[in-house]
Amino acid sequence: MTEPLLRVRDLQTYFVTEHGSGTARAVDGVSFEVQPGETLGIVGESGCGKTVTSLSILRLIPEPPGHIRPGSFIEFEGRNLLTLKPRELRAIRGNQIAMIFQEPMTSLNPVFTVGDQIAEAAIVHQRLSRRAARTRAIEMLRLVGIPDPEERVDHYPHQMSGGMRQRVMIAMALVCHPKLLIADEPTTALDVTIQAQILELLDRLQAELGMAVMLITHDLGVVAGSADRVVVMYAGQVVEQAPTPALFARPLHPYTEGLLASVPRLDAPPAREHGRLHGIPGQVPAATAWPDGCRFHPRCPYAWDRCRAEAPPLLDAGGGGDPGTHTVRCWLLTDPRRRTPHS
Amino acid sequence: MNLWNWLALGGAAVMALTIVAEIRRHTRTSVAGRRFFRHPTATPGLFVLAFFVTVALAAPLVAPYRPYQQIDIDRLADHAPSTRFLLGTDPYSRDVWSRLVYGARISLGIGALAMVVAVTIGAAVGAVAGYLRRWVDPALMRLVDIGLAMPRMFAMLVVVALWEHLAVPVFVLLIGLTGWFATSRLVRAEVLSLREREFVSAARALGAGTGRVIFRHVLPNAAAPIIVSAALGIGNVMLLEAGLSFLGLGVPSPVPSWGNMIADGWHKMAVAWWSSTFPGLAISLVVMALNAVGDALRDALDPRREAA
Repeated sequence: MTEPLLRVRDLQTYFVTEHGSGTARAVDGVSFEVQPGETLGIVGESGCGKTVTSLSILRLIPEPPGHIRPGSFIEFEGRNLLTLKPRELRAIRGNQIAMIFQEPMTSLNPVFTVGDQIAEAAIVHQRLSRRAARTRAIEMLRLVGIPDPEERVDHYPHQMSGGMRQRVMIAMALVCHPKLLIADEPTTALDVTIQAQILELLDRLQAELGMAVMLITHDLGVVAGSADRVVVMYAGQVVEQAPTPALFARPLHPYTEGLLASVPRLDAPPAREHGRLHGIPGQVPAATAWPDGCRFHPRCPYAWDRCRAEAPPLLDAGGGGDPGTHTVRCWLLTDPRRRTPHS
Repeated sequence: MNLWNWLALGGAAVMALTIVAEIRRHTRTSVAGRRFFRHPTATPGLFVLAFFVTVALAAPLVAPYRPYQQIDIDRLADHAPSTRFLLGTDPYSRDVWSRLVYGARISLGIGALAMVVAVTIGAAVGAVAGYLRRWVDPALMRLVDIGLAMPRMFAMLVVVALWEHLAVPVFVLLIGLTGWFATSRLVRAEVLSLREREFVSAARALGAGTGRVIFRHVLPNAAAPIIVSAALGIGNVMLLEAGLSFLGLGVPSPVPSWGNMIADGWHKMAVAWWSSTFPGLAISLVVMALNAVGDALRDALDPRREAA
C-alpha cells in the first residue's frame, strides 16, 4: 500500500457542555486513512460524529466548548495538522484540503457574487489579481457545469437554485486544486435527480483532478455508487471499515447490517413485518453518556453479557487482502455462532 | 439676492428633485427600495437632505454675500427679511441667508464626518467583540457600557473647556470618538448571530484568516444595522454640535455654524427674531429629515423590526 495522504489516529474531539452535565465525547478514538486519489465514504446516522471528525481535520471545531484531546493525531502528507501554527494551517485550508458543506443555501455568503466567492481561495492562497481571479472563477463555473459562466459569475447566491449553489460550493472548494476534498453531506439538501448529478460531477472532477475525496453521508446509496472504501461510524467510533463491495456483500457489524436492511429496495419484495420498512430499534444514545461495553449493545439484536461488560476493539475480519482491509468492532467476530437473533 | 442667486437656488431645488427621482428609479427594482419609498416621509425627507447638501455644495452661487462680510454695521444690522436680505441680517449686519448657506457646509459636514468616525469605530469594535468572544467581548462591552453611561454633553464640555481654540477637525474627532458606543452594540448583536452561519465556517475552511473573516465576510452582512444607526445618528451629532456651538464651545465664531448663528442672534430675539429663528428651523428641518430617512431605511433594510 502506498503512503496514505491523510492518516487519522485515535482522534478524540470532546465538547464541554454548558450546564455542567459533563463532557460530550462526540468523536472518541477514531482512526482511518485516506489514500491519494481514492474516495472514502464515511457513513453513520446523525450524531455519530461524522461532521465533527471532518471539522476536526481542518481544525474548525469551535474552541471552547470543543477541543481535540492530546494523543489525537491527524497527519496530512506527513505533517501533523494538530501541531501546526495558525498561519501554516491556513496555508493548507482551501489549498491542500478543501471542504464542501451540507447546506448550499447557507454556506454561501449572501452579500457577495458567486464569482467573488469562488475567487476568494485563489486570492488568499495564490495572490491572484482580481482580474485573474475572475477569469479563474469563470473557468471553475464552466468546470462544474454551470451554463453561461460569464454571466453567472456576477450573480448572487439567491439568484441560483439549490443544485447550482452546490455546484458553486464545489467550484469554491476546488479552485486551488486541493489534494483532499472533504464533502460533508454534499447532496443531503438536494432532491434526488440533482443529487445524482452532483455525485456524478464529483466523480468526474475527482478523476480529472486526481484528488482524494472524503464523502460523508448518512445515505448508503450515495456511498455504494461512489466510494472505494467505507468507514461506518456509530457513537463517536468506527464500527466497521471495509472496501465498498465487501461491505455491501458481507456486512459484519450488526449496525451495518441494520443500516443495509433499512434501505428500501425495489427489486426484493419486503420480507419482514408485513411489508413495513426495516428499522434499527432505539436511537443513538447521548454523547455525554455512551453505554458501557459495546456502544451499540442496547440496540443490538445479538447482544449478550460480554457486549454489555466489555468494549470490543476493532478486530480484523480477514476476508482476503492485507490485514486491516476489513475491520469490525464487534465481539461476534470471536463467536460467529451467536449470529442468530433471539426474539 | 440677485437674479443669479435665485436661479442657483431654483437650480438646487431642481437638482435635489432629480437626485430623489434618480435614487427612486435605481432602487425601484429591489424589495428594500420599494419598501423605503413606501414610507410616507421618506421622499420628502430625502428631498430636504438632497436640497441642503446641494445648497451647501453650491454655496458661493446661492449666497449673495460672503459669510463673514459685515455689510453696514451702522445702518443694516438687524435688518428684517426683504428682497435684498432674504432672511434678514444679524446684529453684526451679516446676511443671515448667506451665513445659513455656508453654515450648512460646516454643520452637515461635521455631522457626516463625525458619524463616519463613530460608525467606523463602532462597527470595528462590535464586529471584533462579537466574533472573537472569549475575553475580548466582555472587555470591549464593559468599555461600551462606561461610554454609554457617560453624559456625553458634559464630557465634551469638559474636554472643550480644557482645550482652548479647538480646531474643527479635532472637534469632529471628539464627537466621533464619543459617539460609537451604541453602534458597536448593534453590530455586536448582529455579528453574534452571523458568526454561527455556515458561510463563516466555509470562509475559514477556505483558509481565510480571522481578520479577513471578520471584515470581509461577516461585517458586510451587518451593513443594514450600520447604515440605519448612521442615518439616525447624524441627527444626534448635529444637535450636539449645535448645542456646543450655541454655548460658544463648538465651532468658533465667526465661522458660521447653525449652532453659533443661533447664539449670535438670540439676545435680540424680541426685536430681530429672524437671525436665530432661521438657523434653528434649518437644524430642525434637517434633523427631522434625517430621522424620517433613517426610519424608512430601518423599515426597508431590517424587516424583522417592522412588527415591533
